[in-house]
Order: sequence, then C-alpha cells, then structure tokens
Amino acid sequence: MKILLVDDEKKFVMMLSKRLALRGIDVDYAFTGEEAMAKIENKKFDVAILDVKMPGIGGIELKRKLNGLTPDTKIIFLTGHGSETDYETGSAEAPYYLAKPLQIEKLVEILYEVTE
Amino acid sequence: MIDRFRKAFGAIRPEFYRQKHKHLDHYFTFTNYRKIWAISILVMGTAALVPLIVVTMIHYRLIQESVDSELILRTERVASNARRAVTFFLEERLNALRFTVNEIGYDQLTNPDHLAEILRNLKLGFGGLTDLSVIAQTGIQVAYAGPFKLEGKNYSNQAWFVECQKADFYVSEIFRGYRDVPHIIIAVKSFRPDGSFIILRATLETERLIQSLSSYKTGEHADIFLVNRSGIIQTPSNYYGDTFQKMSLPLPDFSPRTHAVMATDSHMRSIVMGYAFIFPQVCDTPFILMVIKQKAGMMKVWLQLRSNINWFVGFGIMVITVVVTITCTFMVNKLYLADKSKAETMALMEQSNQLASIGQLAAGVAHEINNPLALINETAGYVKDMFMIKEHYRQDEELLENIDYILEAVERCGTITRQLLGFTRKFDVKIQKIKLHDVISDVLIFHHKEAEYRNIKVYVDVPEDIPEIETDRGKLQQILLNLVNNAFQAVDTGCILDIHASAQGSDKVSITISDNGCGMPPENLTKIFEPFFTTKERGKGTGLGLTITYGLVRKLHGDISVESKENVGTTFIITLPVRIQEEVREHENPFGR
Repeated sequence: MKILLVDDEKKFVMMLSKRLALRGIDVDYAFTGEEAMAKIENKKFDVAILDVKMPGIGGIELKRKLNGLTPDTKIIFLTGHGSETDYETGSAEAPYYLAKPLQIEKLVEILYEVTE
Repeated sequence: MIDRFRKAFGAIRPEFYRQKHKHLDHYFTFTNYRKIWAISILVMGTAALVPLIVVTMIHYRLIQESVDSELILRTERVASNARRAVTFFLEERLNALRFTVNEIGYDQLTNPDHLAEILRNLKLGFGGLTDLSVIAQTGIQVAYAGPFKLEGKNYSNQAWFVECQKADFYVSEIFRGYRDVPHIIIAVKSFRPDGSFIILRATLETERLIQSLSSYKTGEHADIFLVNRSGIIQTPSNYYGDTFQKMSLPLPDFSPRTHAVMATDSHMRSIVMGYAFIFPQVCDTPFILMVIKQKAGMMKVWLQLRSNINWFVGFGIMVITVVVTITCTFMVNKLYLADKSKAETMALMEQSNQLASIGQLAAGVAHEINNPLALINETAGYVKDMFMIKEHYRQDEELLENIDYILEAVERCGTITRQLLGFTRKFDVKIQKIKLHDVISDVLIFHHKEAEYRNIKVYVDVPEDIPEIETDRGKLQQILLNLVNNAFQAVDTGCILDIHASAQGSDKVSITISDNGCGMPPENLTKIFEPFFTTKERGKGTGLGLTITYGLVRKLHGDISVESKENVGTTFIITLPVRIQEEVREHENPFGR
C-alpha cells in the first residue's frame, strides 16, 4: 500500500512515516500542498493523509485537486484543531477525519479499511 | 405576643431591611439602605410637617392676639360704664347738698326741725342718707338731723374738715362708723354773706352704690369692686379679698382714663384687669374702680376651638407621617430592588465574562498543545515500536510499561484538549419541535441498567400539557445526559433521582434534575461551571462536563442554575425557551450572553 502523508509539522510527519513504515506501509511525505502536488504527478498513491490546515494549499483544496488528478486515491483528513467546522466539512469531503494525537493502530486499521 | 409582633413585622418589613448578600455588596450603588430610608423619611417628613406646624402656630398667635385685644376692649368698656355710674352717683349727691346749702338760708339750716325736714326730702329723692349736719367755720357742729345726738361736736381737727375747707367738696372713703355699717361721708362748703363759711355734711349708706356696681358684673368669672388709693377693698369682691382688707392684686398706677391690662393674679390665673380712678368734676375721691375678668372663663369658646384644631392638626401630622413613611419605604424598596437586580446582573455578567475568557484561553491553549502532543505521541510510539522490534528490549517489561505510561498520558491530554476545543466549536443549532418526555426517556435508556444494578429510583414527571419546544434535540440530549451522569455519580446505592418538567409561563419551560446525593458545599457551588473544576479524584474527571453543559444551555438561549446542600442533595434547573430564534452565530462564544 502506498500512501502520501502531508502535514506542515515536519517532525510529526517524519515520526509517523517511520512508524507506518515499520508496519509495512510504503509512506511518502510532503510538508506543503505544493510539494504534495509535485509528488502526485510522479507517483500514484492508494491513500493520502492530509492535514486540514496548512500554509499555502490547505487540506480541503488539496483533496479536490487530488480527486481531479487521481480519483482512485482515498483521502483521510487529519487535524490538530478538531473544531466542529473542520469536522463537518472534513467528514463531508472524506469518510475519515482524525484528530491529533492519533492512535497508530486505529490509523492502520482505517488505512486497510479504505484500501479494501 | 412578641413572636406574633415579630411575625407581623416580618411580613411588612421591606426587602432592604434584611439586606443579606455580602457577595453582592461591591456591585451595589448604595450601601446603607436603612440610612437612606431614615434620611428620606426625615427630610420628607420635615418638609411636609414644618409648614403645617408653623402656620398653625402663627394662626394660634394671631387668634390669641385678637382675642386678647377683644377682651381688653370689652373690659375697658365695662370699666368705663361702671366708672360713669359711680361718678354719677357721687356727683348727684354732692350737687343735691350744694343745692341745699346754697338755696336754704343759714337760719333755716340750723333749725333742727327744718334740717330734719330737708333730710326727709333728700331721703325721698335719693335714698340711702343716714344723717345731715351743719358745721360752722370753727368746726363746731351747729345743727344735726339723724339718729344720733351729735350737736356741739367739734370737727376742727378731723382730716375731712381740713380737706373740705381746701377743696369746697369732700368725699370720704367707705368706713364703718359708730353703728358698724359701711358708709361714706360727703360734704359741701358754702360761704355766708359775712364771708364766713359753713359745711353741710351727709352720711351715705353704700348699699345703693354696691347695687349699682354689681349690675355691671357680667359672667361668673367677672369681679367688680372699689378700692381706695392704698388698695384697701371698699365694696365686696368675689375673689380678691374681704372688704376693708388689702386687695390681692397689684395697685394700678394713676391714670386719668379708663384702662385695661393683662395680668396674673395671686393664684397665677390669667386675668384682664380694668381700672378707673374716680374723680367727679367738682372734687377728687379716694376710689379706684376695679373690673377683673378671668381669661380662662372668657376664652372658653376659643379654648374649645383650639382643642379641636389641635386634634385636627395632630391627626394630620399622624396621617402625613404614615403616608411619608409608607411612600419612603416603598420608594427606597423599589430603589433597593432595582439596585439589587443590577448588582445580580453585574455579578452574573462578571461570572459569564470570567467563564468566557477562561474558556477562550483554554481552547487556545488546547489547540496549541495538540501539535506537540501529537509529536510526543508519535515519538513515544516510535520508541515503543523500536523496542518491540528489538528482542533485547521486548523482554524489558519495565521499559515498555514506562513507554505505555507516556502514551496513556498523551491519550488523556488528547481527551482534555478535544473537550476544551468543544467549547469553541461552531454550534449550528438545528431547530426542531420536540417533546420533552421523549428526550428525557431517550437519555434515561443509557442509565437503565445502571439504575437497576445500583437500585437507584428514577422518577420522571413531565405533565401532559407541557408544550412542545423548539430546540436542538442533540444538544438538549447532551445537556441532560451530562446532568444525569453527574447525578448518578453523586448518589449512593438506593438513592432517588427526580426529573421534573414544568411550564414557566407561556414562553418557557424548566427541567429540574434533583438528587438526594452528597450535595456540595456553598464554596464549590459558584465554581462548578468553571473549566477544570472537579471534585473527583485526579485523573477521573476533566472538570469540563458542566462547563460544556453550561455552554450548550446558553447556546439554546436557556439558563442553568444549581442549588445544593451538603448531604441533602443537588438540584439543577434548566430553563429553555419554548420558541428559539434560529440564528447562525458563526463565531460566537458559547459563554456570551
């Protein structure tokens, strides 16, 4: 399974990538929306985990772009804010919307669920 | 009796009298309402009563003065008339003697038979004459007609004879003679053709004079009598001494006219004293006419009137005092109630503001903490992952246990931050008509098992006629769920939970959730809606449940209040509007009003 992790919290992204890799998941990551777009052009991902609020291109906008480019890529939202607005827009846009801090087991479970 | 009085006073006692709200004191505009009350009664009472009292007193004074001057005038008139009568009495008799002595020749006068004839005729004309005598220049009585044998008596050394030589006429004081009968001597001097003179003297009984005087006596408190120039009473007086004794009143100063003055007698009674010095045209007399009227008797009508006025004014003062007291009490009470409600609102607003700022701060902090928390979570998770992979560490249970502690702590922090963020969530209130009974039943389903297990009796009382309310079902459920949860945590096995709904007027409903659990001390009661306030064990509660509940109730345009008594129980009361204005309040703070 190939996934793309996009978040502006660099250390968090690195750590989570390592943990997912340990669980046999092929993780690529980007720190901005633009960077993510560049990666998508070269590689096809099964799942994209997107932070909702990022400088530049935000999670919601990025999701729409991804849907246009690679409709098969499933989207999971991630947020540190967890406000109801985010939740509602997020869950309207994607089936999964996770708040930080998250439990790795749950994330893995969801990843398998969406790619099934 | 005292208790009954206290009870009665308690019923009418104004609110400000029991001013008991230390915690609100600094929000009040005025602090001492009893003082304001007393001052306002004093000022208003004075303003109302002083003019009344002053006018009454001026009125009294005016009436008193006019009554006094009227009394003086009347007394003067009586004295003046009586004086004329006395003067006339004496003048008449003096003139009769003068006529006799001038008209009848000396020979005839000195003839005792003829003199007796003259006496008889004078008695017929005037009455009250006792005797008549003729005295020669030498002072020897030359003729006498009357009951005594007085011929040949020498008067030359007597005071009246000396006086009469000087003044031609003489009137004596009243005195008791040989017969012990009061009488007056009058005498007239006449010159003979040879240049010598004779004096005709008569003795008068005082009966007629006294009668004539008493005819001027008006009213039982009046006294009219004659005194001589040294104040010896000459004719009978009712009140001021016996005849021929010194009068008990001060002797008036000489005045040619009739006078009346206010005075006080020896019994300290107020009197009007009229007096006149009697002096007929031809000669002086020793008499002073006294007319005395006691004021008390004459002023009876005025005193009666004054007593009536006093009653009326007294009653007026009482009514004004009562009205002023009632008005002031009412006004000060209204002022107090307005001030109190202002103070309560201010206290509430301050509490709301405090909650709001604490809430905002908490949410802000939570948001900022979430990202580092996520990093800790992942880092610790990664460390654990590494340990799990490496055989050597996997055996080290203590290490893994410590890592799990970190992860658990992060998880707990995450729960807290999620709840904190819940305050500032945008509440899109979805309005629908709901039946309170249904919502309450739904909520209780969650607790059915627990109640059965712990033998907690739950009573629900929602009247049939309670109106359906427009509100957000989900939020109301959450509110009720939180409160019921709280109650279940507060009560012991076998306790009672009572949920009661009632209509508050036509536009509000209230839901009361009461338990008979452990209750709360008063100092906790003011803090329970504050974030992070918890009485539960460390780690068991976040202290956010009631804060969220508070925010939700406010969001539904309702109010929540709590009453609690330690070891008796706690009651939460939620009041919700029947109709809610649907507004999208994007970034509004749930704690704002």
